[in-house]
Amino acid sequence: MIEVVDLWKSFGDNHVLKGVSLTIREGETYVVLGGSGSGKTVLMKHVIGLLRPDRGSINVGGQEISKLEGKALTEARRMFGMVFQGAALFDSMTVYENVAFPLTEKGWRERLPPEEIRRRVVEKLAVVDLGEEVLERWPSELSGGMRKRVALARALVSDPRVVLYDEPTTGLDPITTDYVDGMILNAKGKLGITSMVISHDIASAFKVADRMAVLYDGHLAAEGTPEEVRQSRDPFVQRFLSLWFQKQ
Amino acid sequence: MERVKAAFEDFGRMILFAVEAVAWAFRPPFRLDLVVTQMAFIGVGSAFIVGATGLSAGMVFALQMNFALKQFAAEGYVGGSVAFSLARELSPIFTALMITGRAGSAIASELGTMRVTEQIDAMESMAVNPIQYLVVPRIIASLLMFPVLTMVFNVIGYGGGYVMGVYVARIPVGPFIEHTREFMDPADILHGLYKALVFGLLVSVITTWRGYAASGGARGVGEGTTRAVVWSSIAVLVADYVITFIAVGT
Repeated sequence: MIEVVDLWKSFGDNHVLKGVSLTIREGETYVVLGGSGSGKTVLMKHVIGLLRPDRGSINVGGQEISKLEGKALTEARRMFGMVFQGAALFDSMTVYENVAFPLTEKGWRERLPPEEIRRRVVEKLAVVDLGEEVLERWPSELSGGMRKRVALARALVSDPRVVLYDEPTTGLDPITTDYVDGMILNAKGKLGITSMVISHDIASAFKVADRMAVLYDGHLAAEGTPEEVRQSRDPFVQRFLSLWFQKQ
Repeated sequence: MERVKAAFEDFGRMILFAVEAVAWAFRPPFRLDLVVTQMAFIGVGSAFIVGATGLSAGMVFALQMNFALKQFAAEGYVGGSVAFSLARELSPIFTALMITGRAGSAIASELGTMRVTEQIDAMESMAVNPIQYLVVPRIIASLLMFPVLTMVFNVIGYGGGYVMGVYVARIPVGPFIEHTREFMDPADILHGLYKALVFGLLVSVITTWRGYAASGGARGVGEGTTRAVVWSSIAVLVADYVITFIAVGT
C-alpha cells in the first residue's frame, strides 16, 4: 500500500532523514517509534505529500506521491485521512463544520447533498463514541481526548484508504490514552483501514501495531513485528525499549 | 550579509506566493461566501474606525486651512483644499493604515495561529488548497473594500470639514461649496481610488504572507503580526510616493 524507498531530507544543515525505506501492507497498522526530533513527523508529511524529498521515492497505492503536483496531488490526497498531534481542528468552525469539511469542500460536481453529509458526519462521530450533542460545540469547548476523537472522525469521514496518526496519545492521561488506542484498533477492525502511526509512546505502539519500526538518527534502527523489534540487538533500540520495559 | 540574503529570499517567496494566489483566484471552486465573509470583516468591521479617522482628519484639516488661509483673506478656499487633499492623499493613506492596524494584524495573527497549530497542514491533507481557501478571499475582499472605505473616508472627512468650516469658522456656504467644485475633478477622486486599490493589494498580500509563513509557536505568530503591520505600512507609504510621482511628476 505504501512503499518508501531510500528517503533523504535535510533542512539546511539539519539532516533529518538519511535513507529511510519501509513498506506498509494493505490493512495493517504500522507504527514508527522514535524520540523527539527523530524525524517521525517529517517522514509522515512526506507520505501525504506535504513535504518533498531531497532524494528517494514514496509510492502510495501505485502512485508516486513525490512526483505529483497540483490537481493530481490534490486527488491523491483524497486517499488519506490524517490525525494531527494537536488535533488541528479549525477553531473558527463548530464540530459539525470541522467533520463535514472534507465533504463540503469537494468540487460542486462531486459534492453530496446536505442531508447525506450530515448522515455521514453523525455516523463517523458514532465510530469514535460521540453523539449529536457535540455537533454545535466549538473546539475550544472540548477536552483533549474529545478533540482527538473529533479529529479522527474528520479523518474518517471521506472513507480514506489510509489513516495517518501523528502522535495520537501525546499529552493525554492514561485512561484517554487507552481510549485512543482502542479507537485506532476499532477504526481498523470496523473499517479495515491501513494505518500509519507516528509515536514515542511505547505502550501504545506495542498495543496497536501489527508491525513497527524504530527511527533513530535519520534511519530505521529496527523493523518488524512488535516481538521482532523487542528482540532487536541495535544498541539504541535496546536502550529505548529497556527504559520502558524496566518500568513495567 | 546573511540577514540581507534572508530578506531577499523572503521577498522572493512572497512574490511567488502572490503569483500563486492570483493563479488560484481563477480556478474553481469559487468560494463567494468566503469573499463576502471577508468583505464584512475587512470592510464593515473597519467602517467605524475609518469613519472616525475621516471625521477627525476632515475637521482638523479644515481648522488648520482656515487658520492659514485667513491670513490672505482666502477662507473661502478651505472647502476646496480639504476636498482636494482628502481625495488625492489623506483618504487613501489614512484608510490603508487604519485597515492595516485593525484587519491586517488580525489576518496575520489568524493565519499565523493556523500555521503553527497545523490547521493549514490539516487543510492541505484534506485536499483543499489553503492559498485558495484562506488567502484568495482575503485578497479579493481587500481589493474591493479598500476603495469603498476610501470613499467613506472622503465623504465623512468632507462632512467634518464642512461642519468646522461653515458652523465653527463661519465661512459662508456659497464660497465653501463653489471653491470645492472649482478645485475638484472626478479624476482627483479616481486618483485616490487607484491608490486604494494598490494599497489593498499590498496590504493583503503582505499580511496573509506573514501569517502563512509564520513558524515557531506563539512568539513566531507575534513576530509575524508585527512584521505584517510594519511592512504593510512602509509599503503603503512607498507606493503612495511612487504613484504620486508617476501621476504628478516634479
